[in-house]
Formats: sequence, C-alpha cells, structure tokens
Amino acid sequence: MPRAGLKTALAAAALVAMVSAAKADFWADAGAPYKGVTIRGVSESTPPSNYVKDVLGPEFTKATGINVEFEATSWDQMYDKAIKDMEAKTGIYDFVYIEQDIIYSYLARDFLVDITKTLADDPKLAAPDFNADKFTSFINYFKNDKGDLFGVPMEAFLKVYLYRKDLFDDPKAKEAFKAKYNRDLAPAKTHAEYQEIAEFFTQWGKDNNLELWGTTVQAHTGHPASWYEFFESWAPTFGLYNWGINPEKNYAASEANGGSMNGPKAKAALEYWLGLLKFAPPESTSSTWDEVAATFAAGRAAQGLVYGENAAWIATNDSKSKVVGKVGVALPPLAEGVEADAEAGKGYIGYYDGGAFGIPFSSKNQQAALLFLEYIGQPSVQPDWAVAGSRITHTDTYDDPKVKAMDEKVDHYFTLMRDKGKLFAGAPPYPFHAQVREATAPFFYQAIAGELSPQDALDKMAEAAEAELSKLGYRK
Amino acid sequence: MRSQAVGWLLLAPTLLVLAVFGLGPFIYVLITGFTDWNAFAADPTARFAGVQNYRHLVFDAQFLYSLWLTLGFAFFAVASELILGYFLAQLFMHDFPLKGFFRTIHTLPLMVAPIAVGATWRLLTVPGLGPIPYYLDKWFGIDYRLGSFADQAFYTTVLMDVWHWTPLVTLTLLAGLVSLPREPFEQAQIDGANRFQIFWHVTLPLLMPVILATVFIRVMDALRTVDEVWMLTGGGPAAATRYVGLYIWRVVFPKTDYGYGSAMSLLTLYLTIVMCWLLYAALVSRREKPKAE
Amino acid sequence: MRKNSPAVSILFWILISLVTLFPIYWMFVVSAKSRVELFGKPNFIIRSFFSENYINTLTNPTFQKYMINSLIVATANSLLVTVLALLATYSVSRYKLAGKENIYFWTITNRMAPPAVFLLPLFLLYTRTFSIGSWKLYDTRIGLILLYCVFNLPFAIWTMRGIIDAIPKELDEAAMVDGANTWQVLTKIIIPVAKPGIAVTAILTWVFAWNEYLFAATLTSVHARTITTGLAEFVTVTGTNWGQMAATATLTLLPAFIFIGLAQRHIVAGLTFGAVKE
Repeated sequence: MPRAGLKTALAAAALVAMVSAAKADFWADAGAPYKGVTIRGVSESTPPSNYVKDVLGPEFTKATGINVEFEATSWDQMYDKAIKDMEAKTGIYDFVYIEQDIIYSYLARDFLVDITKTLADDPKLAAPDFNADKFTSFINYFKNDKGDLFGVPMEAFLKVYLYRKDLFDDPKAKEAFKAKYNRDLAPAKTHAEYQEIAEFFTQWGKDNNLELWGTTVQAHTGHPASWYEFFESWAPTFGLYNWGINPEKNYAASEANGGSMNGPKAKAALEYWLGLLKFAPPESTSSTWDEVAATFAAGRAAQGLVYGENAAWIATNDSKSKVVGKVGVALPPLAEGVEADAEAGKGYIGYYDGGAFGIPFSSKNQQAALLFLEYIGQPSVQPDWAVAGSRITHTDTYDDPKVKAMDEKVDHYFTLMRDKGKLFAGAPPYPFHAQVREATAPFFYQAIAGELSPQDALDKMAEAAEAELSKLGYRK
Repeated sequence: MRSQAVGWLLLAPTLLVLAVFGLGPFIYVLITGFTDWNAFAADPTARFAGVQNYRHLVFDAQFLYSLWLTLGFAFFAVASELILGYFLAQLFMHDFPLKGFFRTIHTLPLMVAPIAVGATWRLLTVPGLGPIPYYLDKWFGIDYRLGSFADQAFYTTVLMDVWHWTPLVTLTLLAGLVSLPREPFEQAQIDGANRFQIFWHVTLPLLMPVILATVFIRVMDALRTVDEVWMLTGGGPAAATRYVGLYIWRVVFPKTDYGYGSAMSLLTLYLTIVMCWLLYAALVSRREKPKAE
Repeated sequence: MRKNSPAVSILFWILISLVTLFPIYWMFVVSAKSRVELFGKPNFIIRSFFSENYINTLTNPTFQKYMINSLIVATANSLLVTVLALLATYSVSRYKLAGKENIYFWTITNRMAPPAVFLLPLFLLYTRTFSIGSWKLYDTRIGLILLYCVFNLPFAIWTMRGIIDAIPKELDEAAMVDGANTWQVLTKIIIPVAKPGIAVTAILTWVFAWNEYLFAATLTSVHARTITTGLAEFVTVTGTNWGQMAATATLTLLPAFIFIGLAQRHIVAGLTFGAVKE
C-alpha cells in the first residue's frame, strides 16, 4: 500500500475507534478482568496481517487494556511455529493464523478452541457487534460439521484471471489478432482461446521488440507454489476437483483404484498447463505467487491467473507496478461443463483463498484472545481494512463507499468476488494437506523440468499419494 | 605434575553446555528415529517402529540421490575454494600497494548472512530482474534459467558457495603460508628446483596440516548447507539442488514426518562423522610426523 | 619467487575485487531503487537514490530492536565461546585425561548435525524444560546465546587446538615450577602468546552467530528476534519486498563490515590453526 493510503486508513481507523468508544463501552467492561494481560499471535507478514499488527492491535489495547504482541513472519515459519506450539501444547500463542487449507488438519487434531461454544458458555464475552451471520460464506470453511466456529476470517480473496486492458484494447493488436485467428480479441472463455491469446502476445512482443509474453505461469520447480497453481487453479477449470483424490473410494488417487489424479482430465490439464510455459516469460520456472504478481506488475505478461490479494496493488500502486490503470479482471477460462458443475455445487472454477485467526487450545489467555478476535470481526473495522489489504470478509463491506471507490480502480474485482465468489472454492477438506502435497510435489517438479512426461509424472504422483495416505493411516 | 581434576574442571563448562544443548536434543532425535510419528497422521502419536525408518531409508531413491548430490556439491565447492584460495593466498604473500584494502574487500562475502547470500544471488539470477541472465543472453546467447536447467542450478549453487567461502580458505592458507619456515625454500632454490618442484615437494607437504584442517571445517559446513540454497532455488529444478539438509528440512517442516526425518538426520550425521573422522585421522598422522624425523 | 610489478598486481586485484563486490553491489542497487525502476534492462547506475527502502527500515522500531538483539547475541556468544573454548582447549592440550581425544572429537561432531530435525527437541527444551513459572528460555537472548555454543564451540575448539598445541609445553611448565597456578599460566603465558589466534576465533564466532537464521527463527518470537529473521519477513505473498529486503541486508552488513575492518590484521596472524610451528 502507498504510505499515504495507510496514513489515511490510520486516521480513519482512529475516527472509527472514537465513534465506537462513544457507544456503550462493551470493550472496557469485557476487557476489565484481563487488563494488563498480554496475548501473542503469529501470522504471515502480509498487508492484512500488518494492518492488524499496526492498527487494530493498538486500537484493541486502548479499548480493553489487553496488550497484543503480534509476530509477523514468513509463510513457512508461521506454519512451523504454530504447529510446534499446538503440537507440544506449549501455550506460546494465544491466536494463530489459519490458512483455509490447513483448517482441516487443525480440526482433526483438536488444536483449536470452539468459539461458538465458548461464547454460549460465557455470554459476558459476547460482543454486541460480533455476528457470524455478517460474514461472507467464506466463514463456513472455519466451522466443523456441527456448525461451530473455530476461526474468525481475517482475509479472503479469489484467484482471478487478470489481463492487460491496454493491450486487449489496442486497435493494432485487435486487427492483427482478428486477421490471424478470425475472431475478436477478448478475454478468453475457453482454454483454446486463452492459449491463442498467449501465443499471439508472445509473438506480438517479439515482433515489436517488447519484453512481453502471453501469460504468467506460477511454475517454480522447487516450491509448492507451482503445485498449488495446478491443483487449485488450473485443474478445476478442466473439471478435475479435489486433487483427484476420492474420499469415497478409500482416498484413492490413481484411476485404477477409483481416483482421478492420473486420469484423462488430469493429463489434459497438465499437458495444457505445461504447454503454456512456451508463452510465458523466462522467470516462470522460478516463480512463486510473489514473482507471478511481480511479473504481471512489470508488464511482462498479457494475462495470467493471479492471487486477488495482489490485484489491488498491481492496479493502483505506481511505485510498484507499471500497469496501473491497465488491469482487467475476469473469470478463468473453463472447459465445457465446469461452470454448470460449479453452479450445481458439484465443482468449482478456481481458488477461494484466505485465512482466519483461531485460538489454540493450549493458550492460557483464551478469553482475552477471543475478545480480540471479536474485535477484528466487527463490521465497523472492515472497510478501512479492506482498502489497506484488498480483502473482504463481510457482506456489508462490499457496499461501503471507500470499497466501492476502490472497486472502480481494480476493474470491479470486488464486485466479481461478491457475485461470482460462490463458484470458487477453498482447498478440499483433507487433514493431510501438506503431507500429500509434499509426497507428490517432487514428481510434479520433474514434470515441469521436463524430466518426466505428464502422464508418467501423474502416475507417480498418484502412487506416491496413495503410499503416503496408507502410511498416514487414512487409506486403509 | 598437572592434576587431572583441574583438567576436568576446565573442560566442564564446555561439556555441560554441549551436553544440555547438543547431546540432549541428539538423544531425543535418536529415539524419535525409531518411531513412526507424523503430527497429521490418522494416529498423531509417536509409535515405536524399530528400525523400519532405516530400512525404508536405505532404499529411498530420493534420499540417496540427495546424499549423492550433497557429496558432489561439497566436493566441487571445497575443491574450487581450495585451489582458488591457495592461488589468492600466494598472491597475498607478495607486497603490493593497498594490500590491506584488497584483503578487506576479499573478506567481505564472509560477513554476509547465508540467507542474505541466497537472496542476493536470487536477485542476480532471476530473469527479468537480474543482470546475469540478461547479459549471458545478450553477449553469449546462453539461455540461463535456474528454474529450468538442472546443471545451471547445480553449478550456480557451487559458484555461490565458492563466492561466499573462498575468503575463509584464503585467509587460513595465507596464515599457514606466513608461518612456514624459510630454510626449506632457500635450500630448494640452491638445489635448483623449479617453481612446480618447490610447490610439490616443499610447500605442499609443509602446508598439508593447514590444508587438511581447512578442508575439514569446510566439508563439515558444506554438507549441511541449507539457507542459501533454500533462498536461491528451493532445491529445484526438480531435485537438482535438493541437498540433504534441505531435503530433511522438507520432511520435518512442511511434511511434519518427525520419525522419518529423524532417521534421515542421524544417517546423514553418521556419514558426516565417518568422513570427517577419516580427514581427522589423516590430519593427526600428519601432525605427528615431524616428531618422528 | 618472481616479483610481479605493482601495476599488474593492482590491476589483478581490482578485477578480483570487482567479482567479489559484484553481488554485494547489486544488492545495494536493488535497495536503492523503487520496484518499478528495477523492471526491464538491468541497470547498474543509481540515478536517483530511492531512499524509501532505507527510511522504512531504519525508522521501523522492530528493525532497531532486531539489530540490537543481534549485536547482543553475537557479542555475548562470541565472548562466552572464546572463554569456554580456551579453557577446554587448554585442558585437552595439556592434561592427561582419560579418553580426551574421543571427547575432543565428540565436541567437534556437534557442528555436523543437519540442523532442521534438532529444532523439535530444542523447541520442547526451550518451552517446557527450561521454564520457571511464566518465564521460558524460549524467545530470550540468553537462549540463543547458549544455543549458538553448540555450533560455535566446536569451531572455536578446532581452531584453538592447533594454536595452543603449538605453544611449547616447556613455557608453562617453567612457570609452574616457579609457583604459578593454572590461572596465572593461562593469563600470563598462554593468552599473550595465543592472542592473535584467540582474536580470530572470536571474530569468526561472532560472524557465525550474527549470520545464523534457522535457530533464531524457530526459538524466538517477538522479543529476542535477530536481524536475519527480519530478512525472511520481507519474503511475503504480496510480491516479495526485494527493495526493502536488500536495504535491510545492506544495513546488516555494516556492523560486520566495520568489525572485520578493525580486526583485519589479527585474522591472518591467528588463522594458522597452529598446524605449523614457527
């Protein structure tokens, strides 16, 4: 975020704090028994987290007298430390960041405090402003099968199709495209169209001596980002859902056993995705989510699937991005039948990404931490936070004037999120998320590096997934 | 006569610290290595599994490949550092203007934290940002992409290690050269030996203890390299730079496979000790030789 | 040996220095430019110094705290390790102790372990075993200072062994005959003679402690974090913050650079591992 933006946000947040202080002072009363207590949390160092650290934490301390220590660290570290703490029940952390894809692992281990139950047991703790119904449907990922809540969402995004409006609207490019492909240049609806556009702009870059390629590909050959791009974003658009693992068939992954990780849809998706590398800039095989966003911001790609948390700064921050005002937002290209699947709830067209804060069972300050989670879950703090971190977790936030103004600048990304968000989905409900990812990833990297053919890689991945699931005891 | 009690007393604080923070965790890992324990298994508790982890390990092609790769990395890196370091140390033996200044510059890479070394080299080598791929392509037409080409990635990690650690080798060898006695060299010159003969028959044997001591410390550190490579390639492309330290990191951190990871660590530690013991034995025999003369 | 002309030497060393400095210079270039300026053709010239990266880092109280933590941890660890290693090495070198060579080799092996897996027991040790009431060794500087001994003591003992072995035994035996006790032998004989070697050991120990990342990242949380963990915090989802990371790395380099500049002379004199007797 530009600094000026953050300052405005701070001022606005202070204003909100004053207004809410004038209201009945629930926070001072509820916080009184815990005055002077220090709660400690861990999260990944991202704009939404840093907003909590820099703005909401201090505000909460002022309102309640409870101190907040917030450790913002790297993605790998954050997981490692949170898991070690909860596993060893050391009680270091009073709240932890829970990315949507790890919640099932944490629930399976009973790591987290049941928020619904705690609030019901101790109504004094229930803030009048905190209401789970005010959240978007994303909150459902953090409920168990009984509907009890275990995490308060603090960020949510879509991985969307970004394209360069200026290039797509360039009359010369339009003309050349029409001459070559016999149709109008427009954001792709199908995979074939997407590939043609990628091919076209790669050639366009060459012909006009531009540092421009047709598409981004998040294909790091030593980091799970590439694995995620395939299984979360591209495979679903081919109709391959939930990594091709079938929980009903004893968690089978291979086609022979009833899974689809190495089936025809998977093969088609992987071949297609690897084929895109031809039309991607040379850094693609070293690109995680960070570099993909940087590549797009540098104006080196005409289109790509980019995580939504980046959409806002790519479209608006001119000290980081060369394509300010030139970003278009659309839904990913789809194979036939996928949209119908998604509408019917049988599938999804892309990744709904985000996270929540939850309270480890081992925390010694559960009540104080719960007050904090309620505090950041209030509707009143949402709009400024949305502007600072381009994340939305409450349905009302979409209608806030500040968010609407922002929406205009990012080609209606927020509107798209509100209207089409239901077609996207988070990670499948597997408690063995990281384990199976790590077991299969080496073969996946080999496929990108060209050491294995797509079919061979998928066969080995299915085999490795099943072996790992047997070892873990999920596959009997 | 020196009293043994005083000797033990002097040694005690070191042994105490190492016992608590070194041996303690080691025993824990030793026990964990005999269990089947993954924090996110259907049964997340540790269960005794005998030598099952080790039985899997010796047939684990990916692990063995990582080990082999690590040995290759350590060999190429330490050998290059030794040759280059010796050459530079010899040059520092001459007097020339600004010697102290150049020596300080040459020492600089040592001061950079491994994690920052990895980050810096990443900034150098990422296409679209770094100058290395840009100029390799422009001047030589070489398609340099660490994410795609296994050989390039491997040699770049070696080069990075050479850049980072050659200064240490230069300094130790320089110190060794400075303290060599003068007479054998003068004698050799009187006998009419040429440069190579002097190097082979006089310098090398005299310098051998220092060389071995340096190699010992460098091999030890090269075998457990993690931070730099993790930042530069993440172990890729595919398994091309997935050195054993990094592989273990993957198994115990993201995969939370504590049992298997412990077994891997211990086997690796065991192999490192064996290798270092051989070097050490060579060193000790060298040290004792002059006495026999 | 043949004397090279100074001009050739200087030219050669300028070349070598350029190669050595190239990555560090590039790091500086990245730190001094805005993100947008970095895209496109690599450019080594800094036209306008983009100070925001440095201002953001320097004015960040967290950064200052991390820097101070790093200084305290590295310095204290270096002192502790040097003293312990001196005592231990002297003992191994001079006393007839049963099995001392095996003990010596065992102390060295503490540096050989691949670190990742040892983090789990260390985490337990720091959060559970060493905890009195609400105080824990976890997230304390003293915790890091003690832990860094595990990989620094072996190095220090290894370096000092040769140095102390190389001091003739007759020197301290003569002193003992004159009635000196162990303490006096150490301070009056050993330390003065081995000073350069001790200095180098201390410096390199300091550098290793200053540069350590993995343990610091896992065993600290808010209060005792060091500057290397701060570097990793800039690797974030919203486009790795290369500029600020490079600025931090450059700033991290400064104290180490000053330190090594001051100690330069001692380094060469002390690094013989004592393997060669003068």
